[in-house]
Amino acid sequence: MFWLAEGLVYRRQDSIIHSLDPRVKLIISFSLFILSLFSSTIFEFTILLFAIFLLGALSKVLRRMTKTITFSLTFVIMIFVINLLVGYDLIFSIIISLRFIAIISSSSIFFLTSSPDELDLVMRSLHLPYDLIFAFVTAVRFVPVILLDAVQIIDSQRSRGLEIEKGSIFKRIRNYIPVLIPLIVQSIIRSEELAEAMESRAYGFSKKRTSYYTLHFKRRDYLILCLHFMLVVLFILLVYFFHL
Amino acid sequence: METLAEIIKFINFSFSYSGSTTPILKNINLSIEEGDFVLLVGPSGCGKSTLLRCINGLIPHLYNGAYEGEVIVDGELVKNKNVNELATKVGFVFQNPENQIFMFSVEKDIVFGLENIGLERNEIDIRLKWVLHALGIEHLRYKPPYELSDGQKQRVAIAGVLAMKPKILILDEPTSLLDPRTALDFILLLGELNKKFGLTIIVVEHRIDLLTNVANKIIVLDKGEIVFKGLLKEIIKNKNLNLYGVGVPPVIALQNNLRDEDIIFDEVYLNVKDFAKEIKRRLI
Ligand SMILES: Nc1ncnc2c1ncn2[C@@H]1O[C@H](COP(=O)(O)OP(=O)(O)OP(=O)(O)O)[C@@H](O)[C@H]1O
Ligand SMILES: [Mg+2]
Repeated sequence: MFWLAEGLVYRRQDSIIHSLDPRVKLIISFSLFILSLFSSTIFEFTILLFAIFLLGALSKVLRRMTKTITFSLTFVIMIFVINLLVGYDLIFSIIISLRFIAIISSSSIFFLTSSPDELDLVMRSLHLPYDLIFAFVTAVRFVPVILLDAVQIIDSQRSRGLEIEKGSIFKRIRNYIPVLIPLIVQSIIRSEELAEAMESRAYGFSKKRTSYYTLHFKRRDYLILCLHFMLVVLFILLVYFFHL
Repeated sequence: METLAEIIKFINFSFSYSGSTTPILKNINLSIEEGDFVLLVGPSGCGKSTLLRCINGLIPHLYNGAYEGEVIVDGELVKNKNVNELATKVGFVFQNPENQIFMFSVEKDIVFGLENIGLERNEIDIRLKWVLHALGIEHLRYKPPYELSDGQKQRVAIAGVLAMKPKILILDEPTSLLDPRTALDFILLLGELNKKFGLTIIVVEHRIDLLTNVANKIIVLDKGEIVFKGLLKEIIKNKNLNLYGVGVPPVIALQNNLRDEDIIFDEVYLNVKDFAKEIKRRLI
């Protein structure tokens, strides 16, 4: 899962794309994702991938995007080979592989350029139930905390003589049990404390929870969005009506 | 002094957690007045945290069990109010600040509680600025929790609670993860909140000597029962707190020993400085 994480985790950065309204980033990312699903010729994918990488370059995340893709190359090759083996022709296998790359890289645009904070705001603006948003926010908030717990437990078990990286694969998996059990226990205690603290902060107090934060489109957001839609329409016209 | 309002009252109260037959709190009768700064002490497992949970309604609303007698907070029966309704009356700060900060930034975390109680934007704005100022954490406003020190986290935890404008602030071992210097600063901050805003404060703390200058009342709990309650100065002077695993500050212990040797002082000196002055006065 690390290759996925690397390509999907946000890092604080500045670029034209980063400073856009997160809803714009979501729309751009999502529409490229949809187009990747429905595209079926090498010509289409060339244009799509060009657009995606251009966006990646503009938002200065190209290097991490390509890293994700290189990591997922094993998958791509697997998909390619399996397609060939089950009897599809070369072109079709290439297209399927390109589609996989396009899907991964298009969706990574949003995650690489939007902070979890912005994701929170997007979910609020979509009027998702707050329970869901809160679950997401706390999950992201506590991932590093729990990772740190894990590191500490591993260290303390090592100091008691546990050798984690020794033995066969099965032995190694079993070695992690003395790490996992305390980690699970600790996380349960943590979640109980969280529940107490949430209640004490009036979580679920009233039906009419207000939101202090609201998103506002700026002129630049409108401009970029218009430009984006024009390009998408142009792309669809070219492909479906002029059969390029 | 005018008569003070009773803000917390326990009447013949007992409680045991479901699944256990032994009562954790037994026959508690207690009244705390508005503006009191109460120190709650007792050996580990005597029921201090349990008592605090009864004040903000975590018991009986989150923890089930056998609940007898009444707990009244600000004129209302706790068992008839939800925890989150009580949140605007009672703020609860827990031992581990890490588990009380939910959001990605200090500001967002303070705003979280205010959104929960359905405040308008303007009001949230006002309270946010006020609480950041009152706790001296304006510079931390946009920081994520992982960039905060433990002391700062504990301040942020208080800020999130204080923004709800509670009348009562309860804190369960809030300094146990802090170094001595930060812990002292933190306690002084509590003293300030108590004086400035008339906030009623109840704090569980093992290091009594940190609190002798700010707290006015003390409750000593042992095996689920109140053994002493009253003015901090008098209890410290007259009762042998050592029996209850309560660390008596050395300066008090010294005065007690001197009294046993028939060296009598008219007053109890809670800190070394005042006591030294008194000794100097006598020697000259
Ligand atoms: N959720 C629970 N369910 C059942 N029993 C509990 C629960 N929480 C605490 N107890 C028991 O109640 C008793 C009092 O616990 P409590 O946490 O109130 O003590 P405490 O005075 O706060 O101790 P400490 O100083 O160690 O924090 C203990 O015997 C404990 O085992
Ligand atoms: Mg406790």
